[in-house]
Amino acid sequence: MQQLDNQEILMKLKSQKQFWDIKKKVKQGFSDQQKIGINDIQKFAQSCEIEDQLIKLISHILKKSKKRETLKEDQIEFLNTSKIKWTELLFKNLDIVHQKAKNQEEDDTNTDSKLYIYDEKNLLAFLQTFKQQQPSVLYQNVQFQSNKLLNINIPLKSSQQILDKYQYILLQEELPEEKINKIRKSIENEHLDIELEKIAQTYVPNGERCLLYLKYFEFDHQETVLQQNFAKLQKECQNQLFIDELLEIDGHEISEDTFYFVFQEQILTCLKCFIRDKSIKENIRIQLQNGMKKEHAEFQLPVAGFFPFKNISKYVAPLCYLSTKIHIIYALFKEFFCRYFCFLHAISSEYNSILSLCMQIEEIVSTRSPKLFHHLKVIGCDTLKLIIHQLIYCFVGDMDPPHILTIYDQILGHDSLEILVILCVGFLNKYKPKLLLAKNYENVQQIFQELREDKFQELVQFAYKQ
Amino acid sequence: MSEYFRKYIKKEHYANHQYQFMNQLQLKPQIQNFFQKLHIGSIQQLLNQAFKRRLWKETDGDDWDIMWAEKEWIHEVMDHTHLQSNQKINHFRNHYELTRKDLMIKNFKRYKKNLEREGKNEEANNYNFFPLTFHLPSEYPIFFEEFKRQSNNGDTKTAWIMKPIGKSQGKGIFIFNKIQQISQWKNTLRYNQDNPQAEAYIVQKYIADPLLIGGKKFDMRIYLLCTSYQPLTLYLYRTGFARFTHHRYDNEDISNTYVHLTNVAIQKTSDNYDEKLGGKWNLQTLKLYLMTKYGQEKVAETFYNIQMLMIRSLQAVQKIIINDKHCFELYGFDILLDAQLKPWLLEVNASPSMTSNTPVDFELKCGLLDDVFTIIDLEKVLTGNEEQIGGFDLICKGNPIKLPVNSTFTTYLGAFNNRSQQLKKIAKSTAIRLAQSYQEGQTKAIEVGSKGQKEKEEKDKQMRSSSKGPQVMQNGVNGSIKTTNQSKQNTIIKRNTTNLPALGTAQNKSNIKRYPLQNAGQQSQQIQQSQNNSSKKNNPNEDSMLSANQKLQKLTQESKINQFQPYKQQSQYNDVMGMGSRNLQKNEE
Repeated sequence: MQQLDNQEILMKLKSQKQFWDIKKKVKQGFSDQQKIGINDIQKFAQSCEIEDQLIKLISHILKKSKKRETLKEDQIEFLNTSKIKWTELLFKNLDIVHQKAKNQEEDDTNTDSKLYIYDEKNLLAFLQTFKQQQPSVLYQNVQFQSNKLLNINIPLKSSQQILDKYQYILLQEELPEEKINKIRKSIENEHLDIELEKIAQTYVPNGERCLLYLKYFEFDHQETVLQQNFAKLQKECQNQLFIDELLEIDGHEISEDTFYFVFQEQILTCLKCFIRDKSIKENIRIQLQNGMKKEHAEFQLPVAGFFPFKNISKYVAPLCYLSTKIHIIYALFKEFFCRYFCFLHAISSEYNSILSLCMQIEEIVSTRSPKLFHHLKVIGCDTLKLIIHQLIYCFVGDMDPPHILTIYDQILGHDSLEILVILCVGFLNKYKPKLLLAKNYENVQQIFQELREDKFQELVQFAYKQ
Repeated sequence: MSEYFRKYIKKEHYANHQYQFMNQLQLKPQIQNFFQKLHIGSIQQLLNQAFKRRLWKETDGDDWDIMWAEKEWIHEVMDHTHLQSNQKINHFRNHYELTRKDLMIKNFKRYKKNLEREGKNEEANNYNFFPLTFHLPSEYPIFFEEFKRQSNNGDTKTAWIMKPIGKSQGKGIFIFNKIQQISQWKNTLRYNQDNPQAEAYIVQKYIADPLLIGGKKFDMRIYLLCTSYQPLTLYLYRTGFARFTHHRYDNEDISNTYVHLTNVAIQKTSDNYDEKLGGKWNLQTLKLYLMTKYGQEKVAETFYNIQMLMIRSLQAVQKIIINDKHCFELYGFDILLDAQLKPWLLEVNASPSMTSNTPVDFELKCGLLDDVFTIIDLEKVLTGNEEQIGGFDLICKGNPIKLPVNSTFTTYLGAFNNRSQQLKKIAKSTAIRLAQSYQEGQTKAIEVGSKGQKEKEEKDKQMRSSSKGPQVMQNGVNGSIKTTNQSKQNTIIKRNTTNLPALGTAQNKSNIKRYPLQNAGQQSQQIQQSQNNSSKKNNPNEDSMLSANQKLQKLTQESKINQFQPYKQQSQYNDVMGMGSRNLQKNEE
């Protein structure tokens, strides 16, 4: 953590709108007096609660100045070695994909348009291999635990704790117009993280969401900077990479979705810029792939520090509903990925990581719906295999964009991906009666191929249904 | 009749006959083949499908009930044809006052002036939804003045769009921002004002800041049905489309039509055209997008403004269009939103494209046409006061209809299209109403019948009483009651025996014998039941009374659950239908 001196704090203060508001207030308070002493100001500040506001603001600046280091090493050693293996595997996959693409160019008749380095199933399959490597001493004798797909001894939050944390959503009612207007005003005026988080946790009115996100990520006064950065990246995109081809294929897939086909071009541009953005390596909270450099290999890791995966465009798509300006969409996507979504692809023992989330889901389903858990196991379609797509891609494509954005609100509001655990459990509970009737994997697939409509609030309600 | 209505309404409850339609549309065969290959439909297929679903038959003769004609046919034939009172046509005689680009603007301008003259400035100011427009070549000098004035003000970027009046689907349209760019057009024969062959154009100030979604320009196609201009009766369809261009919008590049024109006909020729998606968004999706980005209130206001724009457009030509009870017209409004979400009217089409490029599209347009025919109501089963019919909402009847203050909607445009549920609901309530009025009619007929019988009896009585004593007279009274009941029985029997074998089978007789003391009503039920049985036996394929009763009984139960019928109607309905349910029980026995 770097320390700021007074001068720097003052500089940062001056960049905050709230600071100038406070100053204006003080000036107004002493408009008649000619001589003003420090004591007078102190008294006035105390009486108008200005002092509190200033303290809050300074502590906020100090907190912000703390830079989160990218997590490179995990506390659990075998996860570090696994990460290396995973990266190696991806390099291999890349080679295969490249070869396939080459063959396709030569032979036009054989067009396999679905080329990707890895998808959610590959990742889950890789996570599954951990069980054999690290049999848990704690659980190995317990019968029901062995039913789980993932059995690794990593620190986990208690599932009850997670359930309790999000229970308040159940009690949320439709807000009257006055309250919504009040929230709107506070989003416009508020600058503090904690306050913005509180709003995101409860209710973000449509139309104000973009502003809230921009403020939270401190982009609200930096539009020209964002625009310039994006323009620079766009220039770099002129140099074609092989990865671009893969991104284009991915973009085609998102265009199958009615809600997002309009944005296909914007999404692709964002992703092409993303893999070329050097700042991601510094800002990403967790390193996705081991940063090894392969000598003599045809490919190296992209500048961003990780390989793009199948359906990466799903993370960008809902953000296109927030702004018409592509540099803003890009900035939001970058922050969301670097802060949150990166954990969904990281092999780590962190609370937010895919490993923890998967184990939480298994834990909750096996204890609260043991019948379903067992049934799915028997028919050869484990709970996690069923839910992994929704979990990794935050339900994008399963819910309408406004509902997806509510999930994004919750992620930002709690600075955590745990809401996905709740939604996945709710999703399974919702389709529980149908799933219990399914006799094989095909039946299960049929259930989800039917036209269905899932909603945020509805899934939360189902999650708490006994 | 719509399939939903057929399910609930009994044939004998409305003027049921084989409806026939005439289709005057002509389509090039190769286009039709092209669509057939793709399993999607041309207008011809769509219409045929829509008519088929209603069990209407196509005819070439003069005995048609509904005519689906091209605009040109109306101009040529309608003035010389005498129409029967029940015949309906899909265009108004002089619809071009609204649908021809130049006339529409002329009428709007005129109406606006009239409003100003009448001192209704507020309403006149609402006519600001069309861009500055001039007619060429006749208004070329005024246009040139305006153009020069803007250039002098330093505004050299303003673009203008030229549209030929007589063409559609984006043909002949071009955009320019330098007067030299139209010099070529000007030098041709077309410009000469005195030349009778001069092709008329309109020139409009180009809306340079359209709302872009995903960097693309789009316009909306919204469907409005006008069933009458006096009083102005308008139905707005909930579902419409947003049609996107397939190329990113570029204000500078005015020569690329793919960037600026959203017409499907133009976009289809683009390399980027995706057949599967057709480059369209459902209006509901558009609303969802706008709501997420701009918030609920702003979007509600925008959609309300769109609805008012459409009503105002028709109000402006209300007195000019020749109203005709035989005519109805489905308009396709093309509306553009600018970056401030202000709606602009681009044009109104009297024959909105009914070709569909995806199966979903086909189904949607089929539904749209089906609802149009339900509203036209050839069968005369509706009251005309229905606020929603299928996907259509009544938005104007004389005056614009305002939704209740506490309603969450300002307009249903772009709302969820619940047409199938709504049609079921309306079919049920219509079935109940028709059954009720039918029953009333029957009772009246019985009363009239029994009255006549009574009078006759009384005459007889008088004659008899003159010859016989008081005891006989008493007998005579009893006898008259009996005969009254008998006559009631006869009426019902008569009703049911129109195409059934005559009464008097052994079973019927025995039934009557078995319940000699029961009142006549019950007897008639018995007879009815046995007739039903026999009719079922004789005509097994016919939609039997019993199955209709079954359906209606089911519907009674459903309506009880849904509580969509007021209590009074419900009880009356049960009174009417109770008979049916008893019949059912007996049949089961």
